[in-house]
Amino acid sequence: MILAMARDLLTWEKQEHLVKLIILITAAVLSFATRLFSVLRFESVIHEFDPYFNYRTTRFLAEQGFYKFHNWFDDRAWYPLGRIIGGTIYPGLMVTSAALYRIMWLLNITIDIRNVCVFLAPFFSSLTTLVTYALTKEIHSTGAGLVAAALISIVPGYISRSVAGSYDNEGIAIFCMLFTYYLWIKAVKTGTIFWSSLSALAYFYMVSSWGGYVFLINLIPLHVLALMMTGRFSHRIYVAYSTLYCVGTILSMQISFVGFQPIQSSEHMLALGVFGLCQIHAFVDYLRSRMPKDHFELLFKTLVSSVLTIVLVVGTLLTITGKVSPWTGRFYSLLDPSYAKNHIPIIASVSEHQPTSWSSFYFDLQILVFLFPAGLYFCFARLTDSNIFIILYGVTSIYFAGVMVRLMLVLAPVMCVLSGIAISHLLAKYIKSVDAGGAAKATESKRQHKKLEQQSGGVKSEVAIGFVGIITLMLIVYTLHCTWVTSEAYSSPSIVLSARSHDGGRIIFDDFREAYYWLQMNTPEDARIMSWWDYGYQITAMANRTILVDNNTWNNTHISRVGQAMASSEEKAYEIMRELDVDYVLVIFGGLTGYSSDDINKFLWMVRIGGSTDRGAHIKEKDYYAANGEFRVDKEGSPTLLNCLMYKMCYYRFGQMYTEGGKAQGYDRVRAAEIGNKDFELDVLEEAYTTEHWLVRIYKVKDLPNRGV
Amino acid sequence: MKLLRHTLCGALVLLAACVFYTAAQAKPKTLSLSERVQNLVEMNQKKPLLRFNGPKFREYVKNTPRNYSMIVMLTALAPSRQCQICRHAHDEFTIVANSYRFSPVYSNKMFFAMVDFDEGSEVFQLLRLNTAPVFMHFPAKGKPKAADTMDIHRVGFAADSIAKFVAERTDITIRIFRPPNYSGTVAMITLVALAGSFLYIRRNNLEFLYNKNLWGAIAVFFCFAMISGQMWNHIRGPPLVHKTQNGGVAYIHGSSQGQLVVETYIVMFLNAMIVLGMILLIESGTSKGHNKNRIMAMVGLVLLTVFFSFLLSVFRSKAQGYPYSFLFK
Repeated sequence: MILAMARDLLTWEKQEHLVKLIILITAAVLSFATRLFSVLRFESVIHEFDPYFNYRTTRFLAEQGFYKFHNWFDDRAWYPLGRIIGGTIYPGLMVTSAALYRIMWLLNITIDIRNVCVFLAPFFSSLTTLVTYALTKEIHSTGAGLVAAALISIVPGYISRSVAGSYDNEGIAIFCMLFTYYLWIKAVKTGTIFWSSLSALAYFYMVSSWGGYVFLINLIPLHVLALMMTGRFSHRIYVAYSTLYCVGTILSMQISFVGFQPIQSSEHMLALGVFGLCQIHAFVDYLRSRMPKDHFELLFKTLVSSVLTIVLVVGTLLTITGKVSPWTGRFYSLLDPSYAKNHIPIIASVSEHQPTSWSSFYFDLQILVFLFPAGLYFCFARLTDSNIFIILYGVTSIYFAGVMVRLMLVLAPVMCVLSGIAISHLLAKYIKSVDAGGAAKATESKRQHKKLEQQSGGVKSEVAIGFVGIITLMLIVYTLHCTWVTSEAYSSPSIVLSARSHDGGRIIFDDFREAYYWLQMNTPEDARIMSWWDYGYQITAMANRTILVDNNTWNNTHISRVGQAMASSEEKAYEIMRELDVDYVLVIFGGLTGYSSDDINKFLWMVRIGGSTDRGAHIKEKDYYAANGEFRVDKEGSPTLLNCLMYKMCYYRFGQMYTEGGKAQGYDRVRAAEIGNKDFELDVLEEAYTTEHWLVRIYKVKDLPNRGV
Repeated sequence: MKLLRHTLCGALVLLAACVFYTAAQAKPKTLSLSERVQNLVEMNQKKPLLRFNGPKFREYVKNTPRNYSMIVMLTALAPSRQCQICRHAHDEFTIVANSYRFSPVYSNKMFFAMVDFDEGSEVFQLLRLNTAPVFMHFPAKGKPKAADTMDIHRVGFAADSIAKFVAERTDITIRIFRPPNYSGTVAMITLVALAGSFLYIRRNNLEFLYNKNLWGAIAVFFCFAMISGQMWNHIRGPPLVHKTQNGGVAYIHGSSQGQLVVETYIVMFLNAMIVLGMILLIESGTSKGHNKNRIMAMVGLVLLTVFFSFLLSVFRSKAQGYPYSFLFK
C-alpha cells in the first residue's frame, strides 16, 4: 500500500535513492545488532584481558583529562617498577570513547563510560559498513557498494574483533583504514589537495589507533609504484601522494609512541622511497616536455647511471659503517614466513601468530572465499587506477592473512569489496534476463522474446532464474553461517562463563568478578597482589589493586620471578614473596567446575618461564613430570609438583570435596584424576577467600613470626 | 688362463683364512681399558660417529670398567624397515657428533656411537627395546638409569635438544655447528638468473609484461594457493595423507585444527571449479553463438551448485556441529 503510494509520489530516481538508503540503513543497523549476542546473553561487560586495560585507561582519560593521561605514570602495575602509559600506547581508541562520552553528557545523555566502551566497536562497525559502501562505489558501482556493505556487516572475520565488549584497537582501526582508503581513492580520482589532505587526516587517526597502520603506509606507496610501472602516473597522482605523504608523516610523528619511526625504521622506507621517486618522475616528465628528444635521451641515460652509482656507493658505505642494516631477521621473515617459526620462539608461541588453515579461512569468510577470486578476475578485466588499488590490497592482504591468522581482520573488508563486485556483476547481467523472460511471457510475442534474449547476451530466462536462485541461496547460506559463527564462536566474554547443567538449564559462573570485587572491598588500598600475568589487567581494572606482572609482558625477568615463586616449595616461595612485597596471591582453579584454562594447565609455562633466567636455574621442567614423563596431579605425579606453591594453593582443602558422583574425594574434573596430595596445611599462607565455584582462590601471605615463637 | 684364475682364487681364500686366523689369534679375550680407549680414539679419527655391531657394542659399551661415557643411538636405517624418523634422527645425531668431534671440548671422556637394528639386533634384545630411534647415555660408572634414555616424545630429537640432553647427563656442553644450507640460496640465484636471461632474450618484446590477463591469472592463482592454506603447509609441514586405524587412507584431517597436503589441493580444486563456473556465467554473453552461450551458462551454473555443496560438506566433516549442508550430506 505504502509502496504503491510511494510509486505514485516519487519519481524513478527518487525511488532508487530511497531503496539505496533503506538498504544501507538496514545493513548498518544489522552490523550493530549482530554484535550484541554477548550483551543479550550475559550483560554489558568488557571482554577478555586486553580490553580491560583499554577500559581502565579510558576511564582515567575521561576523569582526569588528556594532559594528565599523557603524563600518566602507572604505579599500580609491575610493582615495584611501574609503567609509563601515556607514551607507550596508541591513544586513538581512548580519545575516541572519551570524546563520545563527553558529547553524550553535553547532550544530557547520562551514559556510563563502561557502556560507551562496550558499544564502541559495534558502533564503529556500522560506520565501517557505510564506508565500505562509499569505497566500493568509488571503485566500481553503486550496486557493488550495496552488496559489499551488506556482506561486511556480518562477515565473521571482522566480527571476531568487534563484538560488543571487545574494546580493542582493531575495533576502530578497520574503520579508519577503510576511510583512509576511500579518501585516497577520491584523491587519486580528483587529484585535489583537499581530498588528499583529508586522507592524510584519516591516516593520522589510523596511526593514533592501531599499530597496523604500517600496512596502510606500505600499501598506498605500492599503489603509486604500480601506477608508475603501468604508465598511469599523472599530475593527479603526484599531487595526491605528495600531499598525503608529507602531511601524513608529520601528523603521524605527533603520536609519542610512533615518534621518529616514520623516518627511521625500515617499514616506512617504501613510502619515503616512492615519495622520492614521485619527485624524480615528475621532474623527468617536465624535462621531457621542454627538451628535444635526443637531448633528453642523453640526459636521461647519464642521470640514471649516475644516480644508480651514487645509491650503490652510499648504500654500501652505510651498510659497512652499520648505519642501516637491511639484512636482519625481520627482512628474512618477510621473505620466508617459516623463518620466524624456526628462529624467533616468542612469535611461534603466540596463538594469534599462527598461520591460517583453509578451514579457518572458510570459517571466517565462507562464500567470500571463492567470490573473491572471481571479483579479482572482473577487476583485471577492466583495469582502472582505483581497481589496481583494490587488486593490490587484496593480493597483499591475503598473503599476510595466510601467514598470520589475526590479520584475517585486514583481509575481511577487501574480501567483501571484491565479492560485492563479483555478485553485483553477475546479478546485473542475469536479473535483466529474468525481467526479459517475464516481459516476454506477458506479451507472448516470440519475436520480441528473441530480441530481448539477444540483448541480454542470449541467455534463456530459465537459466537466468536458476542462476539468481542459486545466488540467493548462497547468500542465505552465508547469512546463516555468519550468524551461527558469531553466536557460537565469537560471543563469549570469557570473564563470565556459562555452562549447561544436567537438566539442560544454564549455569553462570561469575566468579572472576566476585573475586575482584572482594579484593576491592576487603584489602587495603595499597595491597600488592601476585597472580600469573594473564589476570594482571583485570585485577588492576576491576579490583584497583597493585599487581606484579600484567599482560603487557615487557619485563621477562619479573615474570620469571613470579613463575619461580609459583613453582617453588613453600619455604622458597615465601622468600621470593617477601622479596617482592606480596600481600595476596590469586590463583585460578578449574578443578571443581571443569574450567580447563586454569593455572594448573598453564603451570608448565610458569615452570618454563621461571626456569629461563639465571635466578631460576634450580627450576627444571623435568622435575615436574611423573616418572613416565607425563604431567599428572594424582599419586603418580612428581613430588616436586605435589609440594610446590601453585599445587598447594589450588588444591588446599580440595581433598575433602566431592566433585563428581561416583568418584572419590578430591577428584579434579579438568585433569580427570584424584589429586595425589590431599591432607596438608599451609604454613606461610592463609586462605583469604574462595569464590562460589572455586574458580578464583585468594590467599593472604602471613607476616613473619614474632621473635621467639 | 683358467688355471691361473683358479690358483689366484685359491690363494686369495687361503690368504683371507690366514688373516682371519691371525686376527682371531691376535685378539685377546678382553681388551684392557687403555687399549679400548686408544681404539676408540683411533676409530674416532676416521669417523666422528662410531658404528657398532653386537660384539663391538658389548666390547666398548657394556664392558666394565670404563672411564668414558657413551652416547648411543639405537636405530633402524635399512630402507626395508621404513623408519622415516630414523633418517632424520640420524642426520641430527651426526650433526651433534660432528660438532663434538671438531670442538675444543673434545676428549676421550665421551664418544658417540650408533647401532643399527640389522647389524646388532642382539643389542636391542639386550636392552629390551622394541622401538627406534632411541638415544641412550651409558655413564662412565654404573648402569644407565631411567633418565639416561632421552625422552624424544617430549623434547624431540633436534640437534639442540640432543646437545642439551648430553650436557645434562655428562656436563659436557657441545655447541652445535650446523653445516650451512645453501640449497635455498642456490635455488634463488638460479631462479633470478633464469628470469633475467628470459627477459634478456625477449628484450625487444617486453609487451607480455603488460599483459593483464597474465597478471590476472597469476593473482587469482595466488589467491587460490593462499585460501587453500598452502602457507600453513609451508610453515607447519603436515603429512600428505593420514593412515586411519583400519588401514584406509584419510585425505581430510578430522578436525579444523589441522589439514593434510592432499586436502588443501582438493579444496583448491573445489574453489577453482566454483570460480570457473562463475567466470563461465559472466563470459557466456560475450560471444556470438547462441547455443554456445546457453551451454556455457548451463555448465557454469552446474559447476557452481555442485562444487559449492561439495565444499560445504567437506567443511562440515571437519567442523564438528556445523549445521548447514546443501545437496550432499
